[in-house]
Amino acid sequence: MRKIVLPGDFLSNNTKLASYGTYVEGERVYAKILGLLEETDNSIKVIPLKGKYTPSVGDTVIGIVNEISANGWNLDINSPYQAFLPASENPETKPGKKLNEVLDMGDSVITKVVNIDPRMKVTVTMREKICRAIRFGRIVAINPARIPRVIGKKGSMIKLIKNELEVQIVVGQNGLIWLNGDRKKISIAEEVIYLIEEEAHTEGLTDRVAEFIRRRKNVQT
Amino acid sequence: MAEDILSEIKKDYVLSKLRDEERIDGRKFEDFRKLEIKTSIIEKAEGSALVRLGNTQVVVGIKMQIGEPFPDTPEKGLIIVNAELVPLASPTFEPGPPDENSVELARVVDRGIRESEAVDLSKLCIEIGKKVWIIFVDIHALDDDGNLLDASAIASICALLNTKVPASRFGVGEDYELPIMDLPVSVTSLIVGDKFLIDPTRDEMSVGEKTLTITVDKNDNIVAIQKSGGYLLSESLFEEVIDASIRAARKIREEIIKYCSKIC
Amino acid sequence: MFKPEKLIFDGKRIDGRTLDQLRPIKIEVDFLKRADGSCYLEMGKNRVVAAVYGPREAYPRHIQDPTKAVIRYRYNMAPFSVEERKRPGPDRRSVEISKVSKEAFEAVIMKELFPRSVIDIFVEVLQADAGSRTACINAASVALVDAGIPMKGMLTSVAVAKVDGVLVLDPMKEEDNFGEADIPFAFLIRGDRIESIALLQMDGRMTKEEIKEAIKLAKKGAMEIYQMQREAIMKKFLEEGENG
Repeated sequence: MRKIVLPGDFLSNNTKLASYGTYVEGERVYAKILGLLEETDNSIKVIPLKGKYTPSVGDTVIGIVNEISANGWNLDINSPYQAFLPASENPETKPGKKLNEVLDMGDSVITKVVNIDPRMKVTVTMREKICRAIRFGRIVAINPARIPRVIGKKGSMIKLIKNELEVQIVVGQNGLIWLNGDRKKISIAEEVIYLIEEEAHTEGLTDRVAEFIRRRKNVQT
Repeated sequence: MAEDILSEIKKDYVLSKLRDEERIDGRKFEDFRKLEIKTSIIEKAEGSALVRLGNTQVVVGIKMQIGEPFPDTPEKGLIIVNAELVPLASPTFEPGPPDENSVELARVVDRGIRESEAVDLSKLCIEIGKKVWIIFVDIHALDDDGNLLDASAIASICALLNTKVPASRFGVGEDYELPIMDLPVSVTSLIVGDKFLIDPTRDEMSVGEKTLTITVDKNDNIVAIQKSGGYLLSESLFEEVIDASIRAARKIREEIIKYCSKIC
Repeated sequence: MFKPEKLIFDGKRIDGRTLDQLRPIKIEVDFLKRADGSCYLEMGKNRVVAAVYGPREAYPRHIQDPTKAVIRYRYNMAPFSVEERKRPGPDRRSVEISKVSKEAFEAVIMKELFPRSVIDIFVEVLQADAGSRTACINAASVALVDAGIPMKGMLTSVAVAKVDGVLVLDPMKEEDNFGEADIPFAFLIRGDRIESIALLQMDGRMTKEEIKEAIKLAKKGAMEIYQMQREAIMKKFLEEGENG
């Protein structure tokens, strides 16, 4: 069981180790959020248990169009900040085609964060392989702090769900997950994801998830 | 805003489950969520109750004062129901004076109590035409996970059930228990096409804010109805909802009696 | 309320406490589903609920600060929380309490990490006893941690009163009403150290020496409350970890 730390807990005198979820004052490293302490030889970090998604460059995020402007789309990305998708960053934009015919209000898209300015104006792109407009399947929302567990070590958890249920999954760092495939299998996948969210920091989660999927599949067939 | 998209996202899940005749939390269409009631939690109030309906939480406190009766009912006490949807209870509630939702909620709860004659107002007269007891029922929402209305109605009647009239504090005799004559129960259903779900959660409400509330007294009479939301209701569905609401109200009433010592 | 002849008798207070003893405290973390972080807290007869929402988009836009998050704090009393029914809505007292409490939290929340956003702290007093503002700050502090908000440390709040010429920790109603002075404090605590004062008010009359003594007494009480805040949070997340 990893140790839980609270804001203000003293972690180290070696400021070189200070990493995610910590802050330095004077010569001392403190925790700044509630989370699990992770110490290695060259870093000390606090893995959050709760909290909102704060964008970071390179993240995959799923967004929902909530405003269309003259030169692009504003996306709600389940964060204190909206993201802007410039028309030029969407490969489906064509001359003569109105922006709302490409993406309309309420449409969802898988994007990548490409830029964040000091005022937290977030710019995203769809010019990467994983990106697309979501026209079918379903989106699931969970606590963004639990996303790393849904992915698992080196993607092990997500692989398990994909293989067992034959569904397509794209995980957004912002807590939104896209599922696509057979409707009933998507429903099982959605339940599995909620299970992982609930029990994110427990031991033996992978085994329990595998067992859960097997049970649910038997009920349905 | 973020909150809106999260409920928008839940919509597909709810609808997909409904196609298989299931609810996302595994309940039957006519089931209430788990109900927990705690009474007498506020010593400074004349009566109080905390109700948990699933994750929805409401506190109701009863305060009493002496005041003047209405001219047309000079020998009867008064009941005033007030609801505060404080911003603590939901990301969509704003601070400020009561909006249309909290006014509607308070008025529907009020109608159930009033029309079922749950409180014997004739026992609240101190001096005919001059002095009567005024009962303030203050509904304080803590957590809105859907169906605040039924939770508030249950909490209100439970708080009234354990209210003591503070006569000695006001120097007008000895304290006595507030006389309760009925146990109205409001039952709210979410209307989805030709189906209805009793006691909808917040997630279920994402499919559309279309509800029908039926308040039933202890003799299975209907004492209040409120259709809320812009939708058209068929006569046959209305009748189905009435039957189901009477059944559900009976069950809830049994639970209230179990939790509150005083039975009427 | 009648003034008792003596508030201190044989070194004991009218509720039986010693001079440096806190009222009973109960803390429950993650009490509400909808809020991002929440806490229910009892301190004596105070019963308060705190909720934190955010950081979230700041509306209306003109309240946004391009360099940091805006903190809002709303202290609100339920109509049934006091003997005489309180009319709903803010009064001057609630407005002042909200202001000083907000400023205390502004000093510990790392607001510069969330430009243009708002962090809302709402506290509802369901039953008021003496020191409701201190109970609310203690609850809000736990709710902020529960919401995952980055902070320098935690805030812990307690009052000291001067009663019958002596200092008492965490005054109850009678001591508050009939005492000679009252000082509510909130401290920034990091791990096992009280670092600084984040909230400080006073009404009444005290000597410089007495104020120094009061700080000492408040620090002792704050450290005890801090341990309870900490345990409540740990318990919540350890329990969650044990599920299944």
